[in-house]
Amino acid sequence: MNMRRFLTPKVQTWMHRANPASKLVMMLLLFVMTLLTHRLDFIFYQAVLFIVLLFALSGYQPWKVALIILPFVLVFVSSATTMILFGKGDTLWWAWGLLHISEESFYRGIHIGLKAVTFASQGLLFVLTTSSVALFYALMQQMKLPPKYAYSFMASVRLLPMVWEELLVRRNALLIRGLRPPRGLAGLATGAKLYAVPLLSQSIRRAHRVAVAMEAKAFDGSRPRTYFYPTAYSRYDLWIPVLLIIVQALAYTLAMLYPPFGIADVRYH
Amino acid sequence: MSEMAKRQAARGLKLSDLLVTVLISVVLGVVYHFWSSVYSLLSPLFFQADELVYGMWFLASTLVFLLIRKPGVALIAEVAAAHVEILFGSEWGIQLVLYSVLQGLGAELVFAAFRYRKFSASVAALAGIGAAIGSIIPDFFYGYVQDYAPWLLTAKYIMRAISSVVICGYFAYGLVKAVEATGVTALLRPVDPKDYAALDK
Amino acid sequence: MNIAAEVTALRLKFPGEENFVFKDLDFSVGRGEKVLLLGPSGCGKSTLLQVLCGIIPNLVEIPMRSTSQRLPDSWGILFQDPDTQFCMPYVDEELAFALENRGIPREEMMDRMEDVLTKVGLALPDLHMPIDALSQGMKQRLALASVLLGEPEVLLLDEPSALLDPEGREQIWQAILRNAEGRTLIIVEHRLEELLALGLVDRVVLFGPDGIPIGEGAPAYVFAKFQAELERFGIWYPGVWEDFFSSEEGQRLLNASPLEGRRDVPKLVELSRYQGLRQGQPVISVEQADIHPGDFVAITGPNGAGKSSLLLSLIGLLPSEGVYLLQGEQSGHRKGSKRMGKRRKDNRMARSIGFVFQNPEFQFVADRIPDEIAFSLKQDGIAEQDIAERVSHSMRQFSLVGLEERHPYQLSLGQKRRLSVAGAAVRRQPILLLDEPTFGQDAVNTFAILALCEELRRQGTAIVMVTHEERIAHYLATQHWEIRGGRLVSREHTPRGRHLFGRGEVEGARKERSLRPYAQIFS
Repeated sequence: MNMRRFLTPKVQTWMHRANPASKLVMMLLLFVMTLLTHRLDFIFYQAVLFIVLLFALSGYQPWKVALIILPFVLVFVSSATTMILFGKGDTLWWAWGLLHISEESFYRGIHIGLKAVTFASQGLLFVLTTSSVALFYALMQQMKLPPKYAYSFMASVRLLPMVWEELLVRRNALLIRGLRPPRGLAGLATGAKLYAVPLLSQSIRRAHRVAVAMEAKAFDGSRPRTYFYPTAYSRYDLWIPVLLIIVQALAYTLAMLYPPFGIADVRYH
Repeated sequence: MSEMAKRQAARGLKLSDLLVTVLISVVLGVVYHFWSSVYSLLSPLFFQADELVYGMWFLASTLVFLLIRKPGVALIAEVAAAHVEILFGSEWGIQLVLYSVLQGLGAELVFAAFRYRKFSASVAALAGIGAAIGSIIPDFFYGYVQDYAPWLLTAKYIMRAISSVVICGYFAYGLVKAVEATGVTALLRPVDPKDYAALDK
Repeated sequence: MNIAAEVTALRLKFPGEENFVFKDLDFSVGRGEKVLLLGPSGCGKSTLLQVLCGIIPNLVEIPMRSTSQRLPDSWGILFQDPDTQFCMPYVDEELAFALENRGIPREEMMDRMEDVLTKVGLALPDLHMPIDALSQGMKQRLALASVLLGEPEVLLLDEPSALLDPEGREQIWQAILRNAEGRTLIIVEHRLEELLALGLVDRVVLFGPDGIPIGEGAPAYVFAKFQAELERFGIWYPGVWEDFFSSEEGQRLLNASPLEGRRDVPKLVELSRYQGLRQGQPVISVEQADIHPGDFVAITGPNGAGKSSLLLSLIGLLPSEGVYLLQGEQSGHRKGSKRMGKRRKDNRMARSIGFVFQNPEFQFVADRIPDEIAFSLKQDGIAEQDIAERVSHSMRQFSLVGLEERHPYQLSLGQKRRLSVAGAAVRRQPILLLDEPTFGQDAVNTFAILALCEELRRQGTAIVMVTHEERIAHYLATQHWEIRGGRLVSREHTPRGRHLFGRGEVEGARKERSLRPYAQIFS
């Protein structure tokens, strides 16, 4: 319940009002574009601008956004480290045993880290402005996703907290039964099984029952459906591509005018 | 018995198959989510030790297929798990969609190669490797892994393959056997024609 | 007669099983009839219900055939478990699902929802309300509302009140009664008190254990003629408690000899200004209470009042404050389960207290029954020889002999429950806590569990049982604790407790309890 309140936006921005299906398509196109960005300065400004968008358009209080994006630091570090330490490069800065830090590998590492942060911000921008139920309603209506799939997702999300409750009960039960902490890899697998088997079998039974109950309510697709949440395209769906084009163009222009690194392509040639 | 034959022919995915697939995957999606914290912590500390736990991210595809044994579920499972991760506001963001589709496809193709009729630990292990191969493709665009020192590139993917074999192959198989022992999988599996014949006794 | 649903020469058998569930059964229900199917657990009543509406084999594949069948023109089914009938998180969205399936225009939806909720007696301040926030009884009425939106001619009810508390049971049957007019009802149910009091049923069909009908007719006729069968099959017919306690077995259970000299035995548990906490907030407060060896404490109260929280804090899974003397030593701590996990070895709680969870499956850890019972003993490092002895003793005591190779999940509901008690009690702890152990069980199994608890009690174990059954508190308990709104509001020594312990006057506010004269319903 507290989680639910925490994850309710303070205000609804126009991003919330756009059609989730078209938003998803735009986000995927954006994703491909970011994926194929090899210019370090460009990705730097993309990361910066999408974080700014998060604060501006997610509808959450700034402190919440700040809290949510805190793990980005971890993402950046863990994405960048390996490449910095082990990537190919000719201008060697530092070497120790197998570790080689070169100028090229260093900037490539930074690039990967920034790219990860950009993806994370883009993903969050979508998630924070789109409710799961709205997304599936839009996918059914605009993308002709079969209701069978949409409702399987929505029902599963509803059942998820019950699995969590059961996990807590199981943990208590195992404590009371006097289970010793596992030792070694085999012990770990046995321990995982002790948790997984009751949760899995209960989930299978429950999902099966819910499916039967749903189909017993004439959920067979034999009649044309109506929708409790009708979704349609609106002017906001135009604003999104316009916004994304402006952001990317701005990022590119800034990269050209004020390049902080001045590296056009981080790949090794 | 024509009715029975008809039912056997239409072995598509029923709502109950789909719901079981998605629910298990959604649960695993939560596990994935927490797993990525384990992963993130491991990766800077140990030298590529993170790769040894990477196979966990393909578990949904083989586990669900071994339980339900129907075409398509391995792919759906992987995508569903990623969906939840994103829903949870995963710091790994939207790239998970691409990863999950390719990983799911990798596993699905291996099961298809065995015409969806083999449910052994070794086939599951192969499917795990299939998923691992799927995960390499975006690594090239996203992580520039081709620019790693060659020895590292090799070591990285060998470790990933080993972890897939252990987690998606043998661990998933053991888990499914344990769940089968509880008798609950009878809900999911098609009925043997023998059981129809037994009605005439 | 106009037929609503019918099947002839039905044969049905579960895959891999030896015996037929039904062999050449003919069954039909007339339009507008209200039929109740009765029989022992596992006789196939629920299966028949699903065959009659075509769930089997259309949605659930189970080998069956029949020479002819007539499916209802329109039907809806209400299942047992309130939690597994919804696919959406909010009340309005769930109801909308049923309307969307039928292609009802969006503009009509709100009116229809409000209308149907009124019909089932569910008044909600806001339709966009999380289903999780409803009580189990309310959820079940919501499930009924959702079924009614399909405007079914035939309404099938698969033990809809089995998992509800008495209040919830009363309300769901009231709601069904209000919507029974003009409909055909086919009901499977074990708990009959509320259902029969409303006069909802006009025909009862009684099945034997092998799926063959052994009698049918008007309720009064069936209940008079087949009294012995109803008792044997474990059906909760009106007056079943009174019949049981006046039987020879029931008398043996009740008539324990007083615990001579037990008054001076040290108290097992003493609570004083005690509070169990969740996230630092008190969820259960006990001003003053104590438990002696040989006590049988029945804890009653509404759902969510804090009964389970009290059990969890007594065993140390929830942190607590105040005086909690366990066998004379201060126990309980502010940190809760973490410490229990870390310092389990020297933790007295797990050694002094056994715990039986509401859902037995969540307690099972082994693939075989003997291993399941032996588990805690092995963790304690007891010698193999002793373990084997104690396990075989438990197997006999809990009537599990002959099931050695069965997986615990494959047992019947009653067997699972007995196994969970066996596993929890095998360490021979002086205290056994049980969280609604008779919940969802049939009458025969309920009495069996009570007999086992009473047996342990006579050996000196203190039984602490959370229950919705007023009669357990009334007949068997030595103390009755009532919990409301997170507080222990009354604590009385029952007449039985005063007799067994030679106890003096009552502590706390004494409340006179009147039991409804169920036995008179069919006089």
